[in-house]
Amino acid sequence: MPQQSGSDVPELAPVADQTTPHPPRQRIRTGPPRGGSPGVRSPRASRWRAQTNHPAVWTPWLYMLPGLVLFAVFFVWPAVQALQLAFYEYDGISAPVTVGLDNFDRMLDDPRFHEAFVNSFLFLFGMMPLAVAVPLLLAVLVNQKIPGIQAFRLAIVMPVVVSMVAVAVTWKYVLDAQGVLSWLVTSLGISDEPTAWLLSSDWALPCLIVIEGWKSMGIYMMIYLAGLQAIPVDLYEAAQIDGAGIWHRLTKITVPLMIPYVAVTSTMAMLDAMQVFTSVYVMTRGGPQDSTMTLGYYVWSKAFEDYEFGYASAIALVLWAVMIILAVVNYQLTKERR
Amino acid sequence: MTVGTRRRRASTLTGNYLLLLVLAVIFVGPFIVLVASSLKPATQDVFSFPPDLIPRPPVLDWFIRAWTVIDFPRYLLNSVIYVGVMVPAYLAVSALTAYPLARMRFRFRTVIFFLFLSTMFLPGELMLIPRFLVVSELGLADTYAGVMLPGLLSAIGIFLLRQTFAGVPQELDDAARIDGCKEWGVFWHVMLPAAKPALAVLAIFGFISVWNSFIWPLVVLKDTSKYPIALGISYLTGVTGTDVRSVAAGTVISLIPVLIFFIVMQRHILEGMKGAVKG
Repeated sequence: MPQQSGSDVPELAPVADQTTPHPPRQRIRTGPPRGGSPGVRSPRASRWRAQTNHPAVWTPWLYMLPGLVLFAVFFVWPAVQALQLAFYEYDGISAPVTVGLDNFDRMLDDPRFHEAFVNSFLFLFGMMPLAVAVPLLLAVLVNQKIPGIQAFRLAIVMPVVVSMVAVAVTWKYVLDAQGVLSWLVTSLGISDEPTAWLLSSDWALPCLIVIEGWKSMGIYMMIYLAGLQAIPVDLYEAAQIDGAGIWHRLTKITVPLMIPYVAVTSTMAMLDAMQVFTSVYVMTRGGPQDSTMTLGYYVWSKAFEDYEFGYASAIALVLWAVMIILAVVNYQLTKERR
Repeated sequence: MTVGTRRRRASTLTGNYLLLLVLAVIFVGPFIVLVASSLKPATQDVFSFPPDLIPRPPVLDWFIRAWTVIDFPRYLLNSVIYVGVMVPAYLAVSALTAYPLARMRFRFRTVIFFLFLSTMFLPGELMLIPRFLVVSELGLADTYAGVMLPGLLSAIGIFLLRQTFAGVPQELDDAARIDGCKEWGVFWHVMLPAAKPALAVLAIFGFISVWNSFIWPLVVLKDTSKYPIALGISYLTGVTGTDVRSVAAGTVISLIPVLIFFIVMQRHILEGMKGAVKG
């Protein structure tokens, strides 16, 4: 049948062609009138469609009912509240007081907000290469058909499966002043003194970035791997015959063909990096000296430690606006290269 | 093939394995340190220069302590409940919502689809506070339902299943209808079986994300006896303080179910993901 032309919404063409002898006439009149788009096809064909792909008006809504209710209660309602709260002062107990744009004014001279803003962007810039470039190399590496490769794939994906709390506990043993990293650094002669990495205001943020990257690389690698396996092998064989080396094959074939996947991974990584919270909460609580205070953590801390729901909502709103802008920029960047 | 190229092949293969081995150490190494710490007896230091990863002798004391000092079985059971209810419900909601969006024609179909997709751009951080207020208003704060309900709808689930349903050949649909299937029959006997790989991927990631859920339960729950395991571990860290061995042991226990599940299910992932990005 010709109607499956690969569009993502399949054109559900009428079945009432010559091969369908008798559309069930007795049902035609029971089909409820639709306000859709009549008149394009022959009335007979479109009524037969009504039976197959145009069910009763309420049928699709019945199917979507649970989804729509959850959407209304846990997305629309809170989203409206979030918008409102940003213009109120509210401590969760006494009645909210409207304060206009005060919450946004306050952000302008809040040094901790500035710190959080800068840290979030540092986090973003640190995360992007770890989440976008390194996993592509990993995917190329584990896409080889050599014995035991499945075990190596599993090893790289393992941190993805594990909760951030468990990751935090795990890394504490590595990053302790007496831990493995300090030992490596001192025995290689890079530094004389062992460092308590997460307690140093210089090192805590880089450590968090590396840990977040380490934890999420596996999922990005899997996305690339799915993409790599869709590349026809003969492309590489042809390039090899033409004398292209590994580097050329990587930059001239793999990377260009992976751009759609880069669009996916970079968007995911960006959204994740901008709202990083759990790793900060379980490892540093924003410290030492606010050096790991990110926007995500600041929102949480304002709301659930200081009970300033209004101010916290305003910050969340700014964070959301930043994320939308970044998503649009990212979309444009990856679109042009396609 | 000449001897030279064969030798070169062999050496790149060795190089590859060495590189892969280094990577495996980077990704799995920290967990080995964790397991070693959880098995070390009290007489052996957890930290030492150079690191000493062999417990002499391995003991299970810390596992017993982690299991008893907090209500560990309770947290495990809670997580099993959360996963057992949320994952099937999540699959059901996603499939029921995706089916009309993929295969029925009705007014506002595109609008509805984009509304659902737009939830992807409502970050958890933004929704945390108002959602907490909504859940409190509904009287669901500090309840299992309050933890579970907001997690049942996700744009990704709807998107992935809609793509999958849309790709099911119309002939299968028609054949089922000729055989007398009504709308529900088509959904149940044609669409769901055809979407098995996608459902498997959603179930796997659903399991992992529910098992590891942390922020939302932390916000909703006051009663520690309803904590999922990830919060339990965080609580254990608070209770045992500097007893790093017990924390390590508790963490190891919390990892075992999700790791086993993942290793058993992982062969389905690549399969389902290929279908997902294609669309």
